[in-house]
Amino acid sequence: MKRLIPYPTPVGDVTFKVTGAQLDGRALDLSMVSQQDRVVALHMAGREKWREARLEIQAQIPDIELANGPWTEVVCVAVLTERATNSRTVVRLRPWSGSWGGTAVVPRGAFRARLDLTLSVVATVGGVAGRVVATAQDSWLVDLTARVPVRQRELDINEMDFRDGPHEWLRPFRDAPWLVETSGDMPTIHLNTGFEGVTELLGAGSDPTERAVGRLLATQIATDAWTAMFHSAVSDLEVDGDGVPQWPSGWRDWVLRSMLPDILPELSPADGLLEIHGRRSESSGWHELQPLIQYAASRRAHIAKNLGTVIRVLGRSGRESTG
Amino acid sequence: MHEGEAFGPWLARQLRHRGMTQAHLALELDVTRAAVSAWITGRAEPREDKKRAIARVLGTDEATVHTRTADAQPIRPVRWYHRPAHADGGREFGNAAAFAFDADLAVLAREATQNSLDERYDASRPVRVRYTLHELTGEHLRLFLDALQWDRLLPHYEVAAAQQQKVGRVIAEGIRELLETDSLLLLRVDDYNASGLTGPDYGDGRFAAVVRRQLDSHKTSGLAGGSYGLGKATLWATSRLGLVLVGSTLSEPHEGRTERRVVGRLDLPWREVDGDAFAGPAWLGEPDTEPGFENVSRSWWADEETVEKLQLTRSGTDPGTSFLIVGAHDAAGDAESLQEMHEKLLRSLAANFWAAMTAGTKGAPVLEASVTTLRNGQVLLGEERVDPHAHEPARSRALKAYLDGTTTDRITGTEDVVLTHVPLTVPPLRGGKGRGVEHRAVLLVTPANDADVRPNQLVCMRGNRMTVSVRRVGDLPLGTNAFQAVLLAGRATGGEPPTDADNLAEQFLRAAEPPEHNDWTRTEELANAYARGARTRIDEFRKEMMAAVRVLVARREERTQGGPAILRELLRLDGGTALGRRVEGHPTIRHVDGELDARGAWRVRVEVRLPVRDDAWLLAPVAKFDVRSGGRPSVAWAELEAGDNCRIEEGNIRFRAGARTASFIGVTNVATHPVSAAMAPLIVDLQKVRRAGA
Repeated sequence: MKRLIPYPTPVGDVTFKVTGAQLDGRALDLSMVSQQDRVVALHMAGREKWREARLEIQAQIPDIELANGPWTEVVCVAVLTERATNSRTVVRLRPWSGSWGGTAVVPRGAFRARLDLTLSVVATVGGVAGRVVATAQDSWLVDLTARVPVRQRELDINEMDFRDGPHEWLRPFRDAPWLVETSGDMPTIHLNTGFEGVTELLGAGSDPTERAVGRLLATQIATDAWTAMFHSAVSDLEVDGDGVPQWPSGWRDWVLRSMLPDILPELSPADGLLEIHGRRSESSGWHELQPLIQYAASRRAHIAKNLGTVIRVLGRSGRESTG
Repeated sequence: MHEGEAFGPWLARQLRHRGMTQAHLALELDVTRAAVSAWITGRAEPREDKKRAIARVLGTDEATVHTRTADAQPIRPVRWYHRPAHADGGREFGNAAAFAFDADLAVLAREATQNSLDERYDASRPVRVRYTLHELTGEHLRLFLDALQWDRLLPHYEVAAAQQQKVGRVIAEGIRELLETDSLLLLRVDDYNASGLTGPDYGDGRFAAVVRRQLDSHKTSGLAGGSYGLGKATLWATSRLGLVLVGSTLSEPHEGRTERRVVGRLDLPWREVDGDAFAGPAWLGEPDTEPGFENVSRSWWADEETVEKLQLTRSGTDPGTSFLIVGAHDAAGDAESLQEMHEKLLRSLAANFWAAMTAGTKGAPVLEASVTTLRNGQVLLGEERVDPHAHEPARSRALKAYLDGTTTDRITGTEDVVLTHVPLTVPPLRGGKGRGVEHRAVLLVTPANDADVRPNQLVCMRGNRMTVSVRRVGDLPLGTNAFQAVLLAGRATGGEPPTDADNLAEQFLRAAEPPEHNDWTRTEELANAYARGARTRIDEFRKEMMAAVRVLVARREERTQGGPAILRELLRLDGGTALGRRVEGHPTIRHVDGELDARGAWRVRVEVRLPVRDDAWLLAPVAKFDVRSGGRPSVAWAELEAGDNCRIEEGNIRFRAGARTASFIGVTNVATHPVSAAMAPLIVDLQKVRRAGA
């Protein structure tokens, strides 16, 4: 997919960063703003019920190129969006000592959890006002609930005793060693500490056989998780007016984009999504897809490698005990 | 009150200059020899009428006898004196100290400026250091060489250049370049508000330390590093001709004078010229008359015209020294042109002395430095003051905040500087009693700037804020924001006057430095000078400072997700790294370009990359308008034209089986445009062919 723009755009880089944040007027520790991951974590210990956050934004745009080109009335704006709530806030930045700066106000009530912060340069070009002539390549993530500013790329793992833990709904599953839950913002693996030996096996044991079996168990859990996540993501797809499925957001987007090329390698991701959605809703060819989904999940769980290790270790210990 | 020289030594020198004995003078003045002896040894001073008589005998005016700021006779002609070869026949083929340093301009700037800092005179004002590159050609060059008595030196250079030792090769190159290009590069290093080269010509003092001795570190205080120590050798090492001229304004009078004390020193290997053998160094100066040093060239008090010709004119009367390196070069070889050398000096000054050049809002810095480049007296690159905030923005910001007292206890903005203390227990000296003294070193941490290519470093300094080491802080949690850290220890913490603990820590840390002064480590000196456990204290100090940095920069809350590591790594949503990159299994658009034609239709040229497959690919080219809200409206093609490796089939494209690339051209149908094409970006894509009815 390639994009063509019917008016001139500048070549120079557009970059921006969050230089600081405040919660209800109190400055947030800068360690809650990760310049590396481009994430702001807006959770302050002991201050769950804040009303308003303010983000200091600083941007660098190719000022000289823009001043000497066909662009006039150049404006630099920061845009906060959240797909879940379809909210959108635009903040106009002002030129300030060689760069552009401004403050984005984030009212707690207007958003739910995770906002995207992007930056655009808008100008009049070819007699048309308000055209986006450049956009920052990298966007920031503003997480209203996180305590740590990282782009979460791992699932949550919840270790608890299913019998008497705080989650009452887990009690009927007290004889299950694990469960995968895919509702919510991030899938969670519940590990049953009441199932004796499971957590020990997954821990770093000293015995090679034990370690190999632990890895095999992890592989099994991970295969379950990836399969469950894929089904969950596919079943949640929203369709537009023409019946074309839309890409989901968050982890569902990640899961589909990463697994589809293994499941339907000869289709582009967009065609793959359409194909999967079509087969599932029309129930034709859906069953034929199951081995492919299973294959994609096991690939992510590194099943071949980990099973191979177990077989080698068992073979060696078998020789030792007979020899 | 006058500042002239004491009467006795002055009179003794005037007699020597004229070759007159004390007895002869007694006879001329009609006084006893005992009276003259008493004047010369300082036990008595002559009456006014005798002073008038003395002036008459010496052929000068009364004022000279009264003020004694000049000699009665004009100086004897300045000339080169070459040290005769050793009586034992020993031969030296170069200055050993000069070999210890690379003749690298960056090293020169570091060593020479450090000397100037150590010699700061008025502690309430900065030392000003000025580096001037000056290229001489043509007439300007000839005038300078004449003043230098070049024709007397040339025979020595020719012999030295013919030798095969390292020094000989360097000199040969220097002479060759001078003759071939008819140009000579001078590098002048001036300092102002520094002590200047005080003291006698041969005895102990700054002058002798610089001009007469090698490997001598003349120390003004027990705390400063040895100024004019090994480092001065870099001056001579930077000269391809081994030649440095020195002019100084003294902070305290010598022989009753302060301005324009001049001497030249040449370092050559052992050589034989016109049948005479010479040991090594030679000096440009006035032939001495002092007993024991007869005819050795000593420093002289030059007139303004002479210093002008020798390129040694200093601005104003602020004390300090000017070193003129004749035939300067950068042996590291990375600075060839004047511009490159100019910039290399700037960079080195900034990297080594950003701290000394940083000042609080009130108060002046310890050091000011600049670089200028001239050609034949004309400015080529104007005087450029080294700005620490331009070269080391984060570090100098940290130090400035400390000096201004504007540090914070946590970082909430990208300009914030956070301060904490790192304890250093200074053990007692060997044989001393007690548990030692605790010194509180200052640790400053501030976010690094975006452009910082070497973030997460800890700079350690002591003394007059000289950099001892720069170390990377390792073992940081993933995603730690980039920072710079500065540790000030000993006197660098800057209390005025320094506390006992500051001074003790300063001495202790010096003892912990290897000869290169680039680390704090378990040196022999520590073990010898201090009580048992001193080396452990240094290790502890190093660990403590790193730990303190980590506490300041690390996140306050650790990650909350837990779970077994072996499971977590299989659940990374980005697939981790182990999954490997897969080859695209479907055709992709590699490149699109296009423009709007006169009718307002897009005309696009599309290049496609195809995975190898036995069957031909059949795909539909799709064009959509990229609008911000809602679904993207598709537009129809008015024309499709096959390029390489494909053909058009009912609006679809069939790519040739086995082909790896293909291309086609498409023109959109204006009638299907929802808005004017000029109003929205266009997206081009390839889709699976949807069968009719779908």
